[in-house]
Amino acid sequence: MNSNVLMRIGRLFILLLLQVLVFNHIHLFGYITPLVIGYMVVCFHRGSSRVEILIWAFAIGLLFDIFSNTAGMAAAACTLIAMIQPLLLNRMAPRDAEEGFIPSFTTLKFWNYTFYVFLLMLVLHGCFYLLDAFTLMDWQLTLVSIGGSSVFATLIIICIELIVHVRKDFEHHS
Amino acid sequence: MRALIDLIIHNKHWFVFLLLEVISLVFLFSSNGYQKNVYFTTANDVVGTTYNVISSITSYIHLKEVNQELEMTNEQLRKEVYLMRQQMEIMHQDSMKRMPDLPLQYDIVNAQVVNMTLHKANNLITINKGEADGIRPEMGVICSRGVVGIVYMTSRHYSIVLPLLNVNSKISCRLRTSEFFGSLVWQRGYADIAYVTSVPRHAPVKKKEIVETNGYSDIFPPGLPIGVVQHIGDSPDGMSYFLKVKLFANFPNLREVSVITNYSAPERHMLEEMATSPASQDSILAKHENQEELKKPEEQAKDKIEGTPINTDTVR
Repeated sequence: MNSNVLMRIGRLFILLLLQVLVFNHIHLFGYITPLVIGYMVVCFHRGSSRVEILIWAFAIGLLFDIFSNTAGMAAAACTLIAMIQPLLLNRMAPRDAEEGFIPSFTTLKFWNYTFYVFLLMLVLHGCFYLLDAFTLMDWQLTLVSIGGSSVFATLIIICIELIVHVRKDFEHHS
Repeated sequence: MRALIDLIIHNKHWFVFLLLEVISLVFLFSSNGYQKNVYFTTANDVVGTTYNVISSITSYIHLKEVNQELEMTNEQLRKEVYLMRQQMEIMHQDSMKRMPDLPLQYDIVNAQVVNMTLHKANNLITINKGEADGIRPEMGVICSRGVVGIVYMTSRHYSIVLPLLNVNSKISCRLRTSEFFGSLVWQRGYADIAYVTSVPRHAPVKKKEIVETNGYSDIFPPGLPIGVVQHIGDSPDGMSYFLKVKLFANFPNLREVSVITNYSAPERHMLEEMATSPASQDSILAKHENQEELKKPEEQAKDKIEGTPINTDTVR
């Protein structure tokens, strides 16, 4: 097992813990609960095998489902964003980008990266909350849940990315 | 053939994607069945134990509120004991009245909430007592303030409760003063608001009236408080009232709950089943006739010996 996979498992463990213990208990205005676990899919570098991303995303979603009583919802949503992540990353990548770059502020620039994360979060939360409600009876509520949670999750991911970014910069300078 | 294989290899991520999505959806749809769902919920022992550990840590944070709630319940119980004592004394003084011997119909198992969701359409609560403690599906769950929900499924040490805050929950209830029946349902949104439907238009409904269980189902005894009427509205068809009810149970801070284990329920079910199925009716009638025939010679012999039959009801 190479160090990349080990690091990914470590990151998954921390994110899952944060999601289950903290973010699952946030219900902003009663409807908004961010699925920060989607950050795992955001982080796949360009050129990763698409099958690999799909399987990882499915496993991540399934783990979330087991701890959150949402049988299959997150697994379906994560698999969906794993399908579109490589396409989106290729579209967003700057011309002079390296072949296997990891999406971040430095590689994609701030606004591009924010837009990329937001789009993925929108699809993730859209799929998740539509499966959860499974009806369009109260579509306004579902829409508020999807929009609010996507924005909130994007903000959290940017905060995480900023923290990681600052730490890396600090290590680089020292 | 070779072209087909090339096509499959070239587009294998599409096949993997479809396969994984189908698996996810199978999980999703099968989650409504008990057997299929049981390993996928927090009734699962591993996850349940994890939540138990987390809950035992977080319960310290809510100790103050729980204490206040207990204090209030204690006070109420003390008042009730005082009133009961007074009534008992009055009854003892009156020699004609006697306390009826009530069967021990309802028993209570105390449990702690280890996991709960409030923001979804299908919210569920996990409690840390299960079959080993005598809990079975379709038992009522209450807290110190009022009704919480109904046990949905159980494992050995954990149970899942379908709370009032679930779009699939429907509980039969009545208005305390007028005793008109209705059904309590929940619509996604607020964690303290539910709605009573099917209350007839001629029922005298007032704001701040208490809604309670009616005891028709054997899940809850009659008279358990559910909530208080906050707004009186009409149903879409205009045939009945649609009452907005503020629930007594404080779901966001719910920790301690009690499960009502109704021991007479199986007996009642059996009797009702026997009454509705014609086959069993016939067998009962046949049995009854046989017993009558067997009894007759015995009774005749007895009468000869003792002269008059003894009425057992008078012996205490």
